[in-house]
Amino acid sequence: MFDVEKFIQKTVKELKDKVKGKAIIGASGGVDSTTSAILVNRAIGENLLCVLVDTGYMRKNEIENNERLLKKLGLNVLVVDAKKRFYDKLGGVVDPEQKRKIIGELFIRVFEEIARRESARFFVQGTIAPDWIESGGGLRDRIKSHHNVGGLPEKIEFEIVEPLRDLYKDEVRMVGKALGLPSELYERQPFPGPGLAVRVIGEATAENARIAREACAIVEQEIERAVAKGEMIRPWQYFAVLLPCKAVGVHGDVRAYGRVVAVRAVESLDGMSAAYSKIPHEVLERISVRITNTLKDDVSRVVFDVTNKPPGTIEYE
Amino acid sequence: MSEPVKVYVVDNGGQWTHRIWRVLKEVGCDSKIILNTTAVGDIDADALVLSGGAPRVAWESPKLGNCTDYFDRFQGPILGECVGMQLMAIHFGGKAGSSEIPEYGLSRLKVVEEDDLFRGLPREFLVWESHNDEVKEVPNFAVLAFSENCKIQAVKHLNKPFYGVQFHPEVNNTEHGSEILGNFVKTVKARL
Repeated sequence: MFDVEKFIQKTVKELKDKVKGKAIIGASGGVDSTTSAILVNRAIGENLLCVLVDTGYMRKNEIENNERLLKKLGLNVLVVDAKKRFYDKLGGVVDPEQKRKIIGELFIRVFEEIARRESARFFVQGTIAPDWIESGGGLRDRIKSHHNVGGLPEKIEFEIVEPLRDLYKDEVRMVGKALGLPSELYERQPFPGPGLAVRVIGEATAENARIAREACAIVEQEIERAVAKGEMIRPWQYFAVLLPCKAVGVHGDVRAYGRVVAVRAVESLDGMSAAYSKIPHEVLERISVRITNTLKDDVSRVVFDVTNKPPGTIEYE
Repeated sequence: MSEPVKVYVVDNGGQWTHRIWRVLKEVGCDSKIILNTTAVGDIDADALVLSGGAPRVAWESPKLGNCTDYFDRFQGPILGECVGMQLMAIHFGGKAGSSEIPEYGLSRLKVVEEDDLFRGLPREFLVWESHNDEVKEVPNFAVLAFSENCKIQAVKHLNKPFYGVQFHPEVNNTEHGSEILGNFVKTVKARL
């Protein structure tokens, strides 16, 4: 079995030997990067700076919340507003792999600027096993380029450190818990590095990201409320995706013609295989009514995704 | 406590190669992932699991490296998964090729012969699949299990310690998956 304490001891020791001087970490506030940050912090203390990039594709209130959570853990945190840079670079781009590569490169450029300013030679990432497995290489086919592996540019100024590279999400949660993270952090559902940019199918404009953000917030709130009421158990991951197609509706006797939102929720252990969640229809109905009413000018229809992984993947791009 | 058995994972480029490594460690093995180009003489394992992978068995078998060499010269049990099993079937005189109806994700496995791999398990359970090709004919092997759209889901060689599965026991969604890998490891221990 996976021995958490042994893993922590061994990793902190290796990090002490390897990371000399200052380091920065790409911190999103998710389980993987936060767990990595605590491990590195144990090894080099104050010399670690957490860089939280506002890409413009984060969920509702996420930057503020995560900044607060990371600071509460005693970490040094710097928030970088890069919204405009991301929106500009992704303008007109619809191919999912191209989107992921642009995001991967821009992340690195932002981190390089900070590393230069801080004289940091090491850059830490919360890469876990599915990131490099699905990014492919050699014999392994590329399923999708994870921004932190397959989306990396060829030339990079610093040395990359990835303490969780051989772990899966469930093992990372065990490490996070053992390191004393609050449950709201180590139990947090996965959220992809490229964020809402891959939950908008097609061009990830600021406007499309806004619709996806609102729809995701509704899915999260309604499911968490249903879980609190005992109507269902919390899925491994649950969110909304803005599809690039429209459907006809009728709003107050008037024709409507708006976008389609897909609700996606899955059960998994490690993200490498997944079954769609059997959410009660009453909960799905509440999600549907709330999305179509509150986003009436944008969305006219809500569908529920019943695809497992394989043949699907969990996210859409 | 006795030394853990060494069961290595031969990487044929599968999405779940690393999962096999994880589950083997969870069932108490000493394991590592090795390239499929590793020379058989350089492998100090007690047994091998050949992973699945993207290569199509009919026209990309050179990408499967030294796997056929392991069938001829490796001294110990081998479990071939997915394309690993397909290659094994072909090597011993069988046939494999494109599935008429491939299986991705959920499938129901029906066990016809418990043998070693399915010892103590139900006769029917849910498994996870991911294949475009399948074994069509398999002389020299007993067929241990099938599914609705794939008649050869698990095999055992008639006189060598070689096993094959088309589905993926290492995947968390597969029911009894770690028990199946555990049963394979038991056959390894029984020989030592």
